[in-house]
Amino acid sequence: MSGRGCHSSSALLQPSMGQRAGRVVLIAAALIFLAIFLVLPVVAVFMQAFSQGWAMYRDSIHQQDVLSALRLTALVACIAVPLNMLFGIAASWAITRFEFHGKSLLITLIDIPLAVSPVVAGLMYVEVFGLHGWLGPWLSDHNLHIIFAAPGIVLATVFVTFPFVARELIPFMQAQGSDEEVAAVVLGANGWNVFWRVTLPNIKWALLYGTILAASRSIGEFGAVSVVSGHIRGLTTTLPLEVEMLYNEYNFTAAFAAASLLTLVAVVTLVLKKSIEAATGVHQRGQEKEDEL
Amino acid sequence: MSIQVEHICKQYGSFTALGDVSLTVAKGELVALLGPSGSGKTTLLRIIAGLESPDTGSILLHGEESTEDNASTRGIGFVFQHYALFRHMTIFENVAFGLRVQSRQIRLLRREIRERVTELLRLVQLDSYARMYPDQLSGGQRQRVALARALAVKPKVLLLDEPFSALDAKVRKELRDWLRRIHDELHVTTVLVTHDQEEALEVADRVAILNHGKLEQIGTPQSIYDHPASPFVYNFLGNVNLFHGRLLADLSPEERDSGAEPSIQSAIGFVRPHELELSRDLPVNGKAVTASVVRIRSAGPQVRVELSIAGNGRPVTAELGRAKFEELELVAGDEIFVRPQSIRLFDDDGARALLLDQGAGI
Repeated sequence: MSGRGCHSSSALLQPSMGQRAGRVVLIAAALIFLAIFLVLPVVAVFMQAFSQGWAMYRDSIHQQDVLSALRLTALVACIAVPLNMLFGIAASWAITRFEFHGKSLLITLIDIPLAVSPVVAGLMYVEVFGLHGWLGPWLSDHNLHIIFAAPGIVLATVFVTFPFVARELIPFMQAQGSDEEVAAVVLGANGWNVFWRVTLPNIKWALLYGTILAASRSIGEFGAVSVVSGHIRGLTTTLPLEVEMLYNEYNFTAAFAAASLLTLVAVVTLVLKKSIEAATGVHQRGQEKEDEL
Repeated sequence: MSIQVEHICKQYGSFTALGDVSLTVAKGELVALLGPSGSGKTTLLRIIAGLESPDTGSILLHGEESTEDNASTRGIGFVFQHYALFRHMTIFENVAFGLRVQSRQIRLLRREIRERVTELLRLVQLDSYARMYPDQLSGGQRQRVALARALAVKPKVLLLDEPFSALDAKVRKELRDWLRRIHDELHVTTVLVTHDQEEALEVADRVAILNHGKLEQIGTPQSIYDHPASPFVYNFLGNVNLFHGRLLADLSPEERDSGAEPSIQSAIGFVRPHELELSRDLPVNGKAVTASVVRIRSAGPQVRVELSIAGNGRPVTAELGRAKFEELELVAGDEIFVRPQSIRLFDDDGARALLLDQGAGI
């Protein structure tokens, strides 16, 4: 018994040949998997995008439709992301600083967009705001266009990116506690001062982190937007929709050129996310709290 | 500014945090609220601060009804157990915070703020730390910053919520003495919450003892130590030996002549360890019990002797000076006579203090 114990503990310190080989195989398998399913496709996107040369790539992106899709995507992100920052801060503040009835219901509701398929989210908006939906007749009477127009795309994007900021902030603010805010109040600060001088500086990194995630999702969202957009070229197509349409038209170079832009956004997001994590340890702290929930 | 707490009740669900507590803190006084955890002392402090509101009762500050006033307008300084310093601000900015958020009409000039903060940092002996951040300071230093921050707005009342309990014993003792000196210098009406009886007895002008949301006793450290009003207070203010016994009423000569039985009452008696006298010989009046020495702890100025009463085996602790200890030449296993020099008696449910009787039968 003791002999075996001895053997296994020394084996932990000095792996045998077999164990060493096993480790190498496992690491190699993981790397090969990553290469085939992640690195290769990303490289392929750029290869395809540049397959006809730099000039062709530039022309593909400079097409009127691609540019207007780019503009619409930026516009949607510029509206949806600040809205969700506001909502995320308000919800996290309410949930972590006050006791009220229906608090756990609110926490559950925040997660709905993560649980539900984006296509379903899109259909919900069509059902409410569409021509044959609940508010459709009233909206068309007042000449308001939501579905198959930019407002619908904004709504769908807001819905899909709803949880990102709040889910970052809630565990973070719970971990921080409200002591500093209470201290500020006792020192005579009003609500405005407490928020700008104490709360916001403390949550800024977590807020930025959540915002980056929300931004990248709002730029890349396809399913929900696809349902409410109506695919009107130059008017209601966002960049992901434009990529799909170009692809369906066998315009591969243009499709991949546009796709490379989305890929770049993803890469930039990852780099920003990583550097915030490294700078602040925001995510580790948040994650621990999330596990407790 | 004086503080009057009048009939404060506070209920959390079915838990009574405070049940009809009233007390008054005079202007310039330092009162300690002492009690075990869950006794309601912190709740009371937060109600005085305006951070919680009482279910019933009222708080009067300087004789004025202030129960409904917002915490930010009460003119109080509050020091938290875990410092609650603003972690993203320098020490200087932490102390300056209260001055910077004042409304424009009464806000000091930039230069005046700088002077005041510098002066306060000098008071707490941290002027060379002004540019550092809270996480670069030790616990004791942080709490001194917290105190400077609270004092910056010239509060009329200073409230401290277990300010030293997160610190190690030595620092705690230093800060305690230092707090008392600051209080003697500034004379701010101060309420200190603590669960440390030594801290309360040493620092405060008066000590209020809370238990289960009730005020058990309030008085000067000397008076509550010497005359505890209840078994709880007796127990809480230091080590104590507990005896259960029966009390035989003294009969007058006439009663004795008529052959009346003495009335018997069960009672509990308290004796502090230093009030137990140990001797090798039976005392002259014969009122003593025998006990055997179980263990001796002789590190420190006082020697603690753990004893076991002969017969019922009850554990008892005695404390004696080194000289006496050496004279007795005690070793574990010795049989010895134990005589209480004074004993404090309460009836069985602890509700009533009974008459003191020197060396009553145990």
